[in-house]
Amino acid sequence: MKQVLFWVICFCCIFVKVNAQKDTIHNRLNEVVVQANKRLLMNSKSLKVVNLNDSIITNNLESFTSLLRFNTAIYLREHGVGGTSSASFRGTSASNTAVMWNGININSINNGQTGFNSLTVGLYDELNVRSGGGSIEYGSGAIGGTIHLNDVLKFRENKEFTNQIVSAVGSFSTISSLYKLKYGSEKYTVNFGISYNISDNDYPFLNSDFRNSNGDYENYAINFSNAYRFSDELVLQFFTTYFFGDRLLSGELPNPTSADDKYQDINQRNLLSLEFKRNNFRLNTRVGYLFQKYKYFDNKDSEVFNFGSSNRLYTDITADYTFQKFNATVTSNTRFESVYGRTDQITERNRKEFSQSLILNHKVKRSFSYDIKVRKDYNSDFDVPLSYAFGFKLTPYKGFFFRANTSRNYRVPTYNDLFWPGQGNLNLIPENSLQGEFGIGFKSNQLFIDVAYFNINSKDKIIWTPNGDPNRPGIWTPINLEETTNQGVELAANYKRLFFNNIQTDLSVNYTYVDAINEATKTAIPFVPKHVANTNIRMNYNRFSIFYQFLFNGKTYTTQSNSEDFVVDEFFISNIGGSYNILKREKQNLSIGFKMNNILNEDYTIIRARPMPGINYNFNVNYKF
Amino acid sequence: MKKINFIFKTLFFASILVLVSCSDDAEPQEPRGDYENGIIISGEGASAAAGGTISFISNDYATVESKIYNKVNGLDLGIFLQSMTLEGDNAYIVVDNQNTISVVNRYTFQELGKITEELSTPRYITVVGNRGYVTNWGSTSDETDDFIAVVDINTFEFIEKISVGNGPERIAFNGGKLYVTHKGAFTNNNIVSVINLSNNEVSTITVKDRPDEMFFKSSTELVVLSEGRTLYDSNFNVIGHTQAGIATINLQTNEVTSEIEFTEGIHPSLMDTLNGELYYAISNDVYKVGINATTPATDELLSDVADISFYGMAVKDGKLYALDASFSDISKVNIFDLSSNEKTNTFDAPLGASKIYFN
Repeated sequence: MKQVLFWVICFCCIFVKVNAQKDTIHNRLNEVVVQANKRLLMNSKSLKVVNLNDSIITNNLESFTSLLRFNTAIYLREHGVGGTSSASFRGTSASNTAVMWNGININSINNGQTGFNSLTVGLYDELNVRSGGGSIEYGSGAIGGTIHLNDVLKFRENKEFTNQIVSAVGSFSTISSLYKLKYGSEKYTVNFGISYNISDNDYPFLNSDFRNSNGDYENYAINFSNAYRFSDELVLQFFTTYFFGDRLLSGELPNPTSADDKYQDINQRNLLSLEFKRNNFRLNTRVGYLFQKYKYFDNKDSEVFNFGSSNRLYTDITADYTFQKFNATVTSNTRFESVYGRTDQITERNRKEFSQSLILNHKVKRSFSYDIKVRKDYNSDFDVPLSYAFGFKLTPYKGFFFRANTSRNYRVPTYNDLFWPGQGNLNLIPENSLQGEFGIGFKSNQLFIDVAYFNINSKDKIIWTPNGDPNRPGIWTPINLEETTNQGVELAANYKRLFFNNIQTDLSVNYTYVDAINEATKTAIPFVPKHVANTNIRMNYNRFSIFYQFLFNGKTYTTQSNSEDFVVDEFFISNIGGSYNILKREKQNLSIGFKMNNILNEDYTIIRARPMPGINYNFNVNYKF
Repeated sequence: MKKINFIFKTLFFASILVLVSCSDDAEPQEPRGDYENGIIISGEGASAAAGGTISFISNDYATVESKIYNKVNGLDLGIFLQSMTLEGDNAYIVVDNQNTISVVNRYTFQELGKITEELSTPRYITVVGNRGYVTNWGSTSDETDDFIAVVDINTFEFIEKISVGNGPERIAFNGGKLYVTHKGAFTNNNIVSVINLSNNEVSTITVKDRPDEMFFKSSTELVVLSEGRTLYDSNFNVIGHTQAGIATINLQTNEVTSEIEFTEGIHPSLMDTLNGELYYAISNDVYKVGINATTPATDELLSDVADISFYGMAVKDGKLYALDASFSDISKVNIFDLSSNEKTNTFDAPLGASKIYFN
């Protein structure tokens, strides 16, 4: 499935890019965008935010995992294509990555993570990836970085309907399709999207007689959002999404046929937002209800399952005031949340959280701005330390910039950590991290480059270990044990150039080097590759476009002592693709695309004993009307 | 590299064969493989960190080698390597989540074949003649589908199933009958199954909760260690315990004739026997009592034999081997001299080290 995703993505990216640029120019004059990431950008002047636009997203329909893997500097741990997948920034753990849906943290209450194969990314209009701590704005888990999924609603002076159908067919009976409808008028705007993905996903394991048996997956998603503009001052928005995924969990070598597990999950999220604006004052009130449920079947043919579910009620009020005279904005966010979570093993527990944050953004001069952020949490289960952040950005000369930030962030223990039967530990305290980053870069119309050094010191990291509790010998329990220090360099670059007046070339590079050390043993933290790098090169000529992308993932140790006996080898994967624009009119645009993944037929694994696919193909059609 | 190793080993063994066939009967026997005359330690592995692996430590401690199966065969065993049985020239390596028993030459670790047919979470195997008897948990969500798989150890083919109660664990043969302890898989059980191999009829003996290790004290007496249960309320707070015991069962009457009973809340495990003594573990300590004792030992023999998790123990030739298992890293084996009760050696052991065998 991943493969399919890749092809589609790559392909589409190129195609969409061309279109998107046109659209943007065409529409800019008469549209009002309820810009979901406006606040993100406002509060991220000293941090790196990578934007993956709808064209890139549309071309990566099959999986969120592959989209991120080939387009960001994040390390994705995927248990075989379509399996459990988690993301980590800068050598931090998966529960240190916060995923935000229209501004709300959606990490699971049970395990503190988001499953990246349980989200249909194709339905979102905009994806932002911010590296670095973000607990003040985004709460628990935002230690390594945050990933933002947004629906973008646009009001238009002239009523306008747009439709988009993307359909992809790939190896291993993989089908991905997507339909999106957008309507905008002066007063009302609506987005509707529906997607369906299915695959046998039974790719052969290279150098083996086995296939990825028991790997089938199928998922559906519906997104609906709309907004009504009462006046220039008052806008009401409503977002809702539903996802249902049904997948089998594939087995491991040497006998993958022994696997017969199944996993189903349902996510349902709703958010109502009322925004009031007058002069320099802005007030935004939001109410949300989020529901998650998973079922795990040890035997896919059996009716017996384990489950976990959570219900969340969310409400917050954000007020901004801009002091025009000083070029400064003060933002206050007051948030209350009540979560009911349970599993078949844990009786229903309720956690209540209240937080108050204050943010000051100040643009001292054209070339210098800074922000100060502070947040205090009150949690019914434990004390959360005060979070704070400070950052600034200098743009002393032309496109050059210098940015630096420091922040304290946290991750609260999950329900599993606290309440797991016989094993949970009610005495846990939140993990906390202190981090610093400085980056230099350059930005022009053609070239963007950002190189940053980061240092993240995390304390009281929650680790499950046998004999964690002397009163429960031999029992695995979580304890606040580890101190880790991650330092490294993160690089992002993009270069665009027109050759011979008609070949548009676009090169982008992401690279993370991280030296992640356990302070007690002074050895590398297991499952963290030192190097993760990817590159995309795209060339467009008239209606044709081609692209090449690669991913390099360094060796990972799987033990804390860094035993050479237990490692996952480095790998280098290349994909190529192309597209042709058949129909190119103002109101209609049709393109077909092709992608070939893992062209070197590399036999690689991301997780031990779970091979990834060799060469595979994808064809897609993208029609906008 | 693995291939070279394989070729080298093949050549090596071929040369041994030639040597052996040429040699005089009076000459000492040539080694039958790299892994003869040593200690074999199996490790269960852990999901993402490592598959099950096997280490070898020569009797003179001069050689310590990890991942011997992987190196010889260029293959992984997968998770979780539950147990091994050494019988004849073969070793049977039982990997439960892989529903696989890898059959290897016990001295070379060269794989001879795999038994996979009909296995469902296999735990232990015992060999009687040409047949292997494998305890199987079946689906972990069904307590009624547990069975003994009967397999042909020459063709590696499945022969038949014998249904037994929930959670069969260890299996041993004596006097025409198989004895199976039922620890209870993911739940609990308190029986020992007796399978008459002449007609496959199954009868049961009730013992204390969670029976695991066993051995035959004589041809008519079986000793079984039951760990006892920890009881939880619906919120999984500990609300009590059931009693643990080491029972001696008369195999003619199938009744418990004597028993070492433990104070409630004490959960002994890892029983082994040597020279008329019983050794068992409580937490990280080792206790010893006479084989005919009726009360537990009052003082520990060895304390704190493991730092992380005391997960496997064996006694042999005046030495006690204690496995200090890590499930996220290399484990350790600590070796104690039973005449001085002092630790004499520590070596690396496989990730999730759980069992010790003498080859």
